[in-house]
Amino acid sequence: MMNDAEVRAHVYDVTMRGGRPPLIAELDAPAAEIVESLRRLAAGRVLVLQRDSDEILMAAPFSAVATPFVVESGGVEYFGNCIWDALGIPAMLHRDAEIRTSCGDCGTSMTVRVENGVAKGDGLLHFAIPAREWWNDIVFT
Amino acid sequence: MLYFRSEEHIDRWCGTWKLDRGGMMALDQGWRLAVAWFGADRRAPEWRRRTVDEVEQLFGEIGLTSPFWSLR
Repeated sequence: MMNDAEVRAHVYDVTMRGGRPPLIAELDAPAAEIVESLRRLAAGRVLVLQRDSDEILMAAPFSAVATPFVVESGGVEYFGNCIWDALGIPAMLHRDAEIRTSCGDCGTSMTVRVENGVAKGDGLLHFAIPAREWWNDIVFT
Repeated sequence: MLYFRSEEHIDRWCGTWKLDRGGMMALDQGWRLAVAWFGADRRAPEWRRRTVDEVEQLFGEIGLTSPFWSLR
């Protein structure tokens, strides 16, 4: 039986190596135990679960579902939950990366390159929700 | 948190969604925030989320000191 720290470690290990958080069925433990652990980790704001399935939606900075923040690093494709998370992926991997996204307003293609610990690009980040309200609706945030 | 080509595009997006402008930062500041926030290895047994005090200290170190970044 895995404890919550071990489940967290396994989720991040799978995600960092393969690009996507694992499904419940891909975690090597009885599903009921895994679901209970995932729910505790979500209650502790370590993970965000999909609303009706208990599957992982976010293991920040990674998204389990496709988003407009595509991050390629080391030959693996990842999805960030937002531009901050997209930057967080090379920060967590400690690797160079290319982030492919688009302007939130007009949809024009935009790219950020992270090389040797420096982020290169000419856009601006915008956080619409004040920090104290982020977890009121983390999916919207 | 979205990425924009310029302040003009941020203001237009805020107008479309009828939102006040929130927290804006240059890419370099956003990168420093990402490194500080996500640089730790979440596979490590000792990893834990930051306390409110720790987050506020981190925001201060990055230069995010306006009320928008307050957690209280």
